[in-house]
Amino acid sequence: MKFSSLTAGVRAGLAILALGAGLGAVGPVATGAAIAQEFPQKPIQIIVPFKPGGRTDVVARLLAEKIQQNGWLSQPMAVMNADGGAGANAVNQMRRGGDDGHTIVHWHHQALIAMAMGLGDFSLDDFKSIGYTGGGSPVWVVRADSEFDTFEQLVAHLKAEPRSLVEAVGIGTIPHFVGAMLANEAGFETRYVTANSGADRLRLILGGNADIALFAASEYLAQAEGLKPLIYFGRERLPDLPDVPTAIELGYDVSWANPNWWLAPADTPDAAIEALQGALEKAIADPEIVEYFTGNTLEPYWTPGDEAMADAQKQLEALQAVAATIQ
Amino acid sequence: MLDAFAALMDWHNLVLLLVGTGLGIVIGAIPGLTASMLIALTLPLTFHMDPVNAVTLLIGEYVGGISGGLITAILLRMPGTPASIVTTFDGYPMAQSNRAERALALGIMASVVGGIISWGFLAGMSPALARFALKFGPWEYFTLVLMALVMLAVLAQGSLVKGLLAAALGMAFALPGIDSSIGQARLTFGSSAMLSGFGLLPVLIGAFAISQVLRDAAQPISNKKIEIPKRRLPVHLSDARTHGPNMVRSSLIGTWIGLLPGIGGNIAALVSYSTAKQLSKEPDRFGTGHEPGVVAGESANNAAIGGALIPLITMGIPGSVTEAILIGALTIHNLQPGPLLFQNAPEIAYGIIAAYLLANLFMLIMMWGAVRYIAQLVRLPRAGLLSVILVFCVVGSYAVNSSFVDVWVMIAFGVIGLGLEAARVPLGPFVIGFVLSPIAEEQLRASLMLSDGNALEIFQRPYALLFLALAVLTVAWPAILQRIARRRRVST
Repeated sequence: MKFSSLTAGVRAGLAILALGAGLGAVGPVATGAAIAQEFPQKPIQIIVPFKPGGRTDVVARLLAEKIQQNGWLSQPMAVMNADGGAGANAVNQMRRGGDDGHTIVHWHHQALIAMAMGLGDFSLDDFKSIGYTGGGSPVWVVRADSEFDTFEQLVAHLKAEPRSLVEAVGIGTIPHFVGAMLANEAGFETRYVTANSGADRLRLILGGNADIALFAASEYLAQAEGLKPLIYFGRERLPDLPDVPTAIELGYDVSWANPNWWLAPADTPDAAIEALQGALEKAIADPEIVEYFTGNTLEPYWTPGDEAMADAQKQLEALQAVAATIQ
Repeated sequence: MLDAFAALMDWHNLVLLLVGTGLGIVIGAIPGLTASMLIALTLPLTFHMDPVNAVTLLIGEYVGGISGGLITAILLRMPGTPASIVTTFDGYPMAQSNRAERALALGIMASVVGGIISWGFLAGMSPALARFALKFGPWEYFTLVLMALVMLAVLAQGSLVKGLLAAALGMAFALPGIDSSIGQARLTFGSSAMLSGFGLLPVLIGAFAISQVLRDAAQPISNKKIEIPKRRLPVHLSDARTHGPNMVRSSLIGTWIGLLPGIGGNIAALVSYSTAKQLSKEPDRFGTGHEPGVVAGESANNAAIGGALIPLITMGIPGSVTEAILIGALTIHNLQPGPLLFQNAPEIAYGIIAAYLLANLFMLIMMWGAVRYIAQLVRLPRAGLLSVILVFCVVGSYAVNSSFVDVWVMIAFGVIGLGLEAARVPLGPFVIGFVLSPIAEEQLRASLMLSDGNALEIFQRPYALLFLALAVLTVAWPAILQRIARRRRVST
């Protein structure tokens, strides 16, 4: 694993170099009609707006490898990490790469949060949605020795004494928006304390300096000790957490299924999008990939581009409502 | 802990530790090139490594980098790293009176003993301290970071005002980007490239590597001839009796000084040197090639590393500039040093501890066996070396986010670093201010969010008050000393 991932990195780097050279040579000529005949004509660059090693990065590399192994696309796919600026760096790289389908982005709904917060100079109009390849949902937890055993008890307490409990969130990040959507829906109010990483949230809650925090289901399962989950934000219960109810079950219309979202520039030709969709749909149905997803509290599913875009649009409106309350 | 040692026995880890320690020794031996620079430059190479591998490599570089400095300190009176300044006091006179081998032997032995003693504290204290630090909330973290920041700025070489000025400048450069407490863009002037602020790595590489390369390039090449030691390195059984107490005492001093945020190996070495001198029956012989002088300095500067690693892995507070870079390295690998590191990533927390011990042993073997070859490396053509470093700087900065903006940032900070050094403003506090102020800001604002904006709540937090008092005392200490001195003068 250790050295092979190093060589994978080097290989990715070389592929990017080769890609750069190809771009310089072909560049502006390779548009329109030429593409319609055959796609892809050169290696496909996947931009991941995060540092290497996170979930989005790992999923992109897994699927790219699977597609390459099986020859579902005639050219290799190379992952490039472009962290920073709430995704602005990645979007800039995508724009520079051209819109012939050879430069795509693998992101998740943090993109919508950046749009709702007005960070960066991009909106949904900049993208064509290729589709979702599965995703994962978070849980809301309290300390294991907390007086609350169910979500109803927690809400009742917060309604009686508003702002009496401290919620660890990063303002303008997923935990904040998901918590706020639930709070708006259920009609309670918590007090926030800034905690921008999962490790920070864990430290605050275990140390008794915060009462509630949101974790990805996989983060919760990895820790488990000292925590008690109250509510799950998926549409259906997670098999790994059979006793944790979903928000929808409890009568709150809130769900957050943070999808693995594949995006291309808005003017990408449909033929290229369809070729990518075909490959990704096969990859997400592959038994090995399915096994990895279910083993990491992710749900493997395929949502085609337009349907994914409609879902994102709806989610964005909900997020904008929350963003309006903090600006 | 045993698991961590077992994991280290994996050949990848051993090779990386060996490479790291060896590189560290060579870079440490070459005057002008420091461990901080080496770590900042190799950091991008670790992106695609497993985090344990990455950490092993960097720890090796850290230990090797501090230890290698003694070679040139003894042979050339040019300390390879600032931590070895004290070693020149007695090491160089010894070399001149034909006792170079003896000085090297004692220096190496003392380094290893210092490393092992402080390792004992690192391994023994860290898990308990981490459990204790888990109770710390935002107020405690804010005051702790503030204390570290103030100590680093005040105790840096040079004047108090310039140290504070440098820290303030570093803090100012940390402001642009997304304000982490409200999620809004701040001081970006509408540029999306500025949304992520100035990257840690480009700033570090610029400030430490680029500015050093520029400075070295402007310097005439020294023609000082190096005497390569030819004979075997002599140690005797009786050394344990004659130098043992000194080694142990200096190692303890080094560990405890290293534990304090902001004071690194050079201060530790100075303090234990003067302690050894004061306790000595023949203080006049210090500075003329006296063996205890070499022993005191070299045990303390290595022990300071182990001491400084304690707050790093238990609380995420860097004890020195090099450690600030190590924290950056861990965060790049999505690991957060702090009280939960032992729970969430025990392989990393114990891996650091295990790697630290092994790096000291590797250092002993390599220095002992290869000291004469390492000494020859100092004669490498400077021009070639600097060009290679420059290439690594550019590649390293670009590789972080595949963004050329970072390369420009790196060059800009190289020039800023050069300017600051020319104005005798120390670079250490500048970088520490840059690294620590976002943490301090986030924690302060989190505290105020918790208390609904009531800053007086700090009075209900005894530890936070203690840290704050220490920070205030650090700044006020010189003034208090002056006042006491004046009062004494008046009364006599």
